[in-house]
Parts: sequence; C-alpha cells; structure tokens
Amino acid sequence: MTIDATIDTATPLLRIEGVTKRYGANTVLNDVSFDIGHSEVVGLLGDNGAGKSTLVKILSGVVQMTSGSYTWEGQHHDTVNRALTEQLGVETIFQDSALVPQMSITRNLFMGREITNRLGLMKMKQMDAITSEILDTVVTIEGIKSSKQLVASLSGGQAQAVAIARAVHFKRSLLILDEPTSALAVRATEALLNYLRQLKSEGVSSVLVTHNLHHAYQVCDRHIVMNHGRKILDVRREDTSVEELTAAVVEGAVGVERFRAGRF
Amino acid sequence: MSQPPTRDPAPILTAPLSTESISQPRRLSDNQPQGFADRLRDTITYTRGRGALEIGIIFAIVLLGFVIAGIVAPDAFPFLSPSNLSGVISQSIPVLAILGIGAGILMIAGEFDLSLGANIGFSAIIFIRVSEAVGWGWGALAAIACGTGIALINGLIVVVTKIPSFIATLGMGFFWTGASLFVNGTSPAILSSAKDDTLVTLFAGDFGLFRSQLVWLLVIGVIAWLFLHRHKRGNHVYAVGGNAAAAKAISINPSAVRLMAFGIFGGLVGFAAILIAVRTSSMQPGSTDDYTLMAIAAAVVGGTSLLGGRGSIVGMIIGAALIRIIENGLILAKAPGFYIQLFVGLIIVIAAIFNKLMEGKAS
Repeated sequence: MTIDATIDTATPLLRIEGVTKRYGANTVLNDVSFDIGHSEVVGLLGDNGAGKSTLVKILSGVVQMTSGSYTWEGQHHDTVNRALTEQLGVETIFQDSALVPQMSITRNLFMGREITNRLGLMKMKQMDAITSEILDTVVTIEGIKSSKQLVASLSGGQAQAVAIARAVHFKRSLLILDEPTSALAVRATEALLNYLRQLKSEGVSSVLVTHNLHHAYQVCDRHIVMNHGRKILDVRREDTSVEELTAAVVEGAVGVERFRAGRF
Repeated sequence: MSQPPTRDPAPILTAPLSTESISQPRRLSDNQPQGFADRLRDTITYTRGRGALEIGIIFAIVLLGFVIAGIVAPDAFPFLSPSNLSGVISQSIPVLAILGIGAGILMIAGEFDLSLGANIGFSAIIFIRVSEAVGWGWGALAAIACGTGIALINGLIVVVTKIPSFIATLGMGFFWTGASLFVNGTSPAILSSAKDDTLVTLFAGDFGLFRSQLVWLLVIGVIAWLFLHRHKRGNHVYAVGGNAAAAKAISINPSAVRLMAFGIFGGLVGFAAILIAVRTSSMQPGSTDDYTLMAIAAAVVGGTSLLGGRGSIVGMIIGAALIRIIENGLILAKAPGFYIQLFVGLIIVIAAIFNKLMEGKAS
C-alpha cells in the first residue's frame, strides 16, 4: 500500500481555526485551531469536560460553532452541518451507537445508502454479496457466519469492525472514533488499533478520541490535548512521550511546562 | 483529493480476533446460499430473528386443531361452515390485520398511536357524511385523508415537542372522540342512500368462502411487505426505531421517518374505517375504542417489539389472525363471553413475555 505521491501535503485535509463554542455564558471551546493531514491518525486527548465531545460534534457537523473557520482541502465552508460533512466524507463512529443491533450486517452496512432499483426497492442479493466481499477483504472479522446475521449477535469488537468497514467501503475521507476502545476487551482493542494503523494505507485520515493515553500513543501520528476548552498541546508522536501526554491530560498546560522543565 | 483505495484480493486490514483459523481463512462470499434448500434454511434462520416463525407455528397448530375439530364435529363446532369462514373469519381478521400492520409499522419506528380507535370513529363518520352528500368515491378519499391527517397531527406533536407518543396520542384520542360527538351528535351516522352494489361488492362483497376484505388484506399485505422489508424507506423505519442515533449519524432524518410512519399508519386506519363503516352501515361515536389496544396486541403477538426496531408484516397478520381465530373458536364452542376476554388477554401477555425472551436472546 503506497500513499499517492501527488497528494499535496502542504494543504491539510481539514484545518480549523479559532473555533469557539459558547452555550450562553459558558464557553465550552475557546479559540481551538489545528490541522488534520491526509492519511494521518490524530489522537484527541483530554480529561472529562475538556471539550472533546463538543469538538467532535462540531467536526462532524452535528453541532454548529459559535465562531471560527472550517477549511476542507483548502476550501472554506461557512456553514458546517451534517449534510455538508456527509458530502465531504466525514463519518463519526460513536462508542455504542454506530449500528442498529436489530438489523442484519448487510442492512447496517448499507443503511441510508441502500442499493435500490428505480422504485426504491433494495437489491438484497447484491447487497449481501458486496457485504460478504467487504467482510472478506476490507476487514477480517473472525466468527461472523453470514452477512445476514443480526448485529446484536456480534461482540463489541466485531461491531466496531463492521462500522469501520462501512466507512472504508463508502470511501469516507475522515473517520472520527469517539471512545472506541472503552467498551472493548484487550484483544478486540488491539484489533481495532490495528485497523486504524492500516486505515492510513487506504488514504483515510482518522481522529481517535480517547482518554486512554496508551491506546492513543500506540497508533496516533500526532496528539492534540484539550484542557478546559483550550488546546494545550499539539505534538507529533516522535516529539512526545506517554509521560508528557499524561502530565498534559492530568495537570493541563502547567503540567506540560513542569514536565519539560524537568526534562531539559 | 484522497486517492480512492485500491482493492487487493488479500485482506487489507487484517486483525483477526482469534488466531485459530488463520491458516484456512473462511470466505463469506463463498458461503452464499447456492441451491433452493440452502436459501430456504437461510430464510428460516433469519426469519426467526424477527419472531414471526414461532408465532406462525403456534398459529398453524391452533388452526389445524380447529380444522380437525370442524371436520370431526361439524355440528358442534362449525368452524369450516361457509357462513363461519366467509361471514365471521374473513370479515373480522382483515380489519384487525390491516390495523395491526399500521400499528406495527409505527411501533417498529419506535412510536405508538393510542388515538387509533378514535381515529377510526372520526374517519368513518367523515366517510359516511361525505358519501351521503357527494357519493362514496369522495367519501372514501375523504376518510383516508382524514385518517392520515389525524395521525400526521399526532406525529407532528410527537416530533416537534418530543413528548412521548404514548401520552400525546392518548390525549388526542379523547380529543377526536369528542370531535366525533361534536360533529355527529350522540346518534349513529347511518350509511344508506350512498350504499350501492358497487360499494358493497368492493368493500364487503360475499364470494362464498371469502369476502372482499380478505382480498384487500392480501393487496395491502403485499404492498406493506414490499415497503417494510424491501424498500429503502422501510429499512430506515427499522434503523430509526432500532437506534435513532446511529441512523442520524448516517444522515437519515429520524423525525421525517417517524412522520412517514405516522402517515402510513393513518392511511391504513382511514382505510379500515371504510371497511368497518361499509360492513356495519353505521358508526356510533366512541364505539371503536377497543380497536386501539387490539391492533397493538395483534402487532405484539406477531413479534413486533414494544421498544421499536423489530417486527414483520407476516407476523402482524398472523398475530391478528390468531387473536380473531381463538375468539371465533371460543364463540363456536359456546364459551361464555368473559372466557373470550380471558383467553385473548392471556395470549397477549404470553406473547409479550415470549418477545421479551427473544429480545434477551438477540442482545
């Protein structure tokens, strides 16, 4: 798997600048700016209440920012709603709510993007065949017997993998995973982190939102640490350590300073 | 632009959850059902998940028992007599089944409509009044429009205010019963001059062993099945009822889907109102309240989840048929009136417990 060399690395996939979100007098996000590069895995870290979830909702267009700019591949967008982010190819996988448990894998995979004839009737056979193909080639998930199996019968890890397979199949360009590992067993977590690593080679960027620093550190190219609605750290993986990230998450900007003072 | 990913024959993202079968990867695409037997087994396996199969077996057993009793003792238990098949069963099952389909589709979307009975009453009065005034063609259109409109108002209240549909439609049910009395007064509305042969043949025609209602059930059943199980909008109904957040994340609009479900439900209620009004030739305000819970019961008995996201058209029809056939059997066996309620009540509770077990198994 090679990344196409023609991609202009100078233009990030997504650049947000000065993003601020207020609910009344309460400022949840304060002047947050960062880039997400092409085929980059970015870790979005921070304690509870740091503003991660709000940021995720703004990136995916579910919540609108109070002020700030949103630039996708060099093009500025004034209103960022779900319709726009859908068109741009942003997909968010929330911890437990990515799939519908009562529906089959096929129906979940094609949910909202069904293959239909002119009357809108679904081509079930074709959809089942494609689903089987995806489950064979895009992600290898052990223990799935049929594409018609209900998602309720899958384990948490298998379900996450199906959600990721869906995003990859529909050629989403930015995948946001909100706390994907918090409900998973150790082995399923490893598998998930592996998928993320290899999503890069498919040309898909991803944002991993987590408060598990060890998971983030294993797979992310870059780490952004949030604290009380502000970005306090934005470092490449090779320029930081789990210890520094821990200091940043636990103590905020002060922690980073103290850590660096101690190290240098 | 990000480069579209190239597909390799070999797995691109390989992270097996278990290491046992790595040496011989089993390919799902080779596992597609080949022959007829394979496909049948597949169908049965995945129909089970929707709860229609078990209730279908119970229905078949009950039906078989009644048929045998009808053959052995045709005088004491005249189940197979034409007057029973055509006069009772083929008139009572279709109306409840059509209402059950409406209530069931709404329940799969995660909503209830407790104003169903009041809606039937009001729509039937509109049907009779308009038919008497300008002919039954207009009356039928008006009834379906009225049923749909009442349900859409309920839907709008639920979607806009986000109050539970249970309480919103309970209140609106009282409102429309009151509205029926206001429009019509306490004496029943009578269908007389507008009732010509065409109207009777169309909505209550007697063809010996069955009546027109059964044909309508077949037509509506097939269309509803195509919609719910094969159309993409039907897929969205399951998605919204099963997990609205997941549907929303994939840019399905849950409010629009819920409104659509209310609209379909209302159209079916309006149609059922026509069938009831033509059969009885009259409509007394407040006399149709029983249908509300019977329709929901038919859907639940047929495996529709009370929590949304699960159910099937075949199940809803079987649920209605099972309730009506047991009622019929008890009447034929000359059981006292309270036995009927007692048994129907038991069936509903047992079906609900059964559904709960199914849901537990599924998750």
